[in-house]
Amino acid sequence: MRRNKPALIASISALALLLAGCTGQSATGAGSGGGATKDTLTLAMNADIQGWDPSNQPGYQGWPGEAVWDQLVKCNEFGKAEPDIADKWSISQDSKTLTAHIREGQKFSDGTPVDSAAVAATFEYMTSHGGSSGDYKGIKIETPDAQDIAITWPAPEPLIIAKACAPKITTKALLDSGKINDTPIGSGPYVLDAGATTRGSVYTFTKNPNHWNAASYPYQKLVVKVIESETAAVSALKTGQIDGTLISAQSYNEVQASGKQITTMHGVTTRLLLTDHLGKKIPALGSLDIRRAINMVFDKQTMVKSLYQGHGEPAVQIFRKGSDAYVDGMSDPYPYNVDAAKALMAKAGYANGFTVELPTMAGQNFETLMPYVSQQLGLLNIKVKQVPLSGANAIGDLLSGTYPVVLWQLGNLGESLKDIDVAVRPTGYWNLSHQPDATVEGLWKKIAGTSDVAERKAAQQEINKYIVDQAWFAPMVDPDGFYAHSADVKIDHVSDFEGLAPKLRDFK
Amino acid sequence: MALSVVKNLARSLAVLLVVTFATFTLMFGNGPGIAQAVLGLNARPEDVQREVVALGLDQPLLVQYWHWLSGAVTGNLGESFYTGQSVTEALSSRVPVTLALVVITLVLTVVLSVLLGVTAAVKGGWVDRLLQFVSVLGTAVPAFIVAIVLVFTFAVAWRMFPATGYVTPELSISGWVKSVTLPVVALLVGAVASAAAQFRTAVLDTLGRDYVRTLRARGISERHVIFRHVLRNSAGPGLTVLSLTTLGLLGGAVFIEQVFALPGMGQLANQSAQVNDVPMVMGTVLVTIVIVLVVNFLGDLTTILLNPKARTR
Repeated sequence: MRRNKPALIASISALALLLAGCTGQSATGAGSGGGATKDTLTLAMNADIQGWDPSNQPGYQGWPGEAVWDQLVKCNEFGKAEPDIADKWSISQDSKTLTAHIREGQKFSDGTPVDSAAVAATFEYMTSHGGSSGDYKGIKIETPDAQDIAITWPAPEPLIIAKACAPKITTKALLDSGKINDTPIGSGPYVLDAGATTRGSVYTFTKNPNHWNAASYPYQKLVVKVIESETAAVSALKTGQIDGTLISAQSYNEVQASGKQITTMHGVTTRLLLTDHLGKKIPALGSLDIRRAINMVFDKQTMVKSLYQGHGEPAVQIFRKGSDAYVDGMSDPYPYNVDAAKALMAKAGYANGFTVELPTMAGQNFETLMPYVSQQLGLLNIKVKQVPLSGANAIGDLLSGTYPVVLWQLGNLGESLKDIDVAVRPTGYWNLSHQPDATVEGLWKKIAGTSDVAERKAAQQEINKYIVDQAWFAPMVDPDGFYAHSADVKIDHVSDFEGLAPKLRDFK
Repeated sequence: MALSVVKNLARSLAVLLVVTFATFTLMFGNGPGIAQAVLGLNARPEDVQREVVALGLDQPLLVQYWHWLSGAVTGNLGESFYTGQSVTEALSSRVPVTLALVVITLVLTVVLSVLLGVTAAVKGGWVDRLLQFVSVLGTAVPAFIVAIVLVFTFAVAWRMFPATGYVTPELSISGWVKSVTLPVVALLVGAVASAAAQFRTAVLDTLGRDYVRTLRARGISERHVIFRHVLRNSAGPGLTVLSLTTLGLLGGAVFIEQVFALPGMGQLANQSAQVNDVPMVMGTVLVTIVIVLVVNFLGDLTTILLNPKARTR
């Protein structure tokens, strides 16, 4: 029987067409493997940005936003203000008013000057747009001239700097145009190159040579690629297609073996949130003994060694080391002791335990943590019922207060006031049961009523000691976070107050 | 034949309406959840409510669906809840990526599976057994596993192809070929394995027919018998398999695009479905249904053209 020559030739031709690419010229531009060069920084981010509305920009991996926009002031890793659009600023004695001077000579990417009118328009815009509009409710803005601005909150605002750091300053004309999502206008260190950008896939920026702080951004070109899969991002890093990406502990050894650099960060604390302090939903949690018993049942050293492969430290408090609320040298008041924990359960009348529902969501390392946590709570006869949350309602359900106990790798912020605001105060969205507490609110008022740094710090540490004593949380581990990058890129310092990823200005 | 075509089109339109309405219904009722996800953790209840209204999620199901459908008819598929990007704009950059993968894979699948299927059926013996073994293996191994192996071998170890990313042909033809090669090969393995086995069976079945024996008895060359008669009569089952393969490739592209970080429709569908981005999900569903219906329509049409008996049904 003769061979089927036409089909064979067709097949070989098709394969040859594909393999022809092996010898083709290397690609350049959007979507290509750019890689590390002296003048291009190519980063991967594992989720796309939510468009170009300045009121809705992520802090986490927010490199596109950091590229195109400046803020009035920038926050450092501990939430302290650093110069940006404003070169000078001050806060009033009553902690209500931020007064700032805008440096002269700055221009937006459309050529218009950066002035107090633009800053005022952006802050006004924040009062009615995005998810943080509550932070700006009731503000009054005065602009005595083009370079000076005063923003006044209706009540003493301890987080005034954090709130001044957030808005990305753009032009009034763009904000009024209704085309906020089309093309961003900012005065940041880079300008979007729309022609080399494909939304959802790759964003390309060219350096703004007129930026006031251009020297802090050494790269002539910035490319940010959306690569959702960590496996794909690691492959891209190893082959030089990108210069940096966030990685998990699972990829640590592989990346290290490939000769790439890894920067370690400490931005989260794995913890149980025991928010039903009054025992309204789970009566047992109203007992301090029960909350303390739960704290004593986790062997933190073993967790670090076995669950985090040594990448982390046992946690005693929820605040980040170096932040104002962190208490240096605090020893663990609840060392691992199952027998003592059982005794506390019996003393509280819960020797036979009770049942808790723990919600689970993708991306929280539950597959590793939950078996251990369930097992340890089981030693106290506390039965864990896992409730998987998914889809768009997941976050709403999680924060609804339906589940007063949550296992979470929750951020520990460099600005501990913010941590107190969101996770400790009754109004905080991570204080899931929102139960009032006179001690915490009294100390918060003390913080709001003074501008003395030392007094504020002391009050924050008092809050910390109080919630540790009251066992509002069961902190377990401060796991390491990792940013992998090529040796050509230097990252000496991570200035993200969330501690989750380097900021654009950290890439040298 | 014209009646068959009209019937096919009417059926396709009905399927399109049913599937889009079913998809819309499945995503309905998540208004506050979607608004909260759009605004973030910090959003106050009043902000969430404001966003629900702004996105039109406070409207009844039928009203929302009608708005979407009437917009879709005029080519306006709305804007993403999350990015504000026009759905049409997003699809216009992503559909070509996915179609490139699927069409190239399909063309190669036709060529390779016919070649392998016919060779195995005609030659028999060890060639046939080898094909069956390889076919089972190729069908059993998921495309994303093949993709990962390809990345580690040809991108990471040998640096012959890029590990991730997509280059448009307008930018660089060779760059485009390089960027689609590994994804296409990853999709091709399973598709060829499955289709070749089906072609082999169809050809074997046809070779056993009386008229083939008659043709051979008349002294007609084997090549003529195979290419003019056997292949033509085996085409019916083969086309059905290729229709199904095309749909399978669309599904496989979702995973392959993740592994190779390709900005295709599968990646968009995956991202959008995770966060209930209704306009984006509806856009990707609509395009997918249209592709499926067109493939089925073309499959039916080809069958009608090749097989006179099908025209009378």
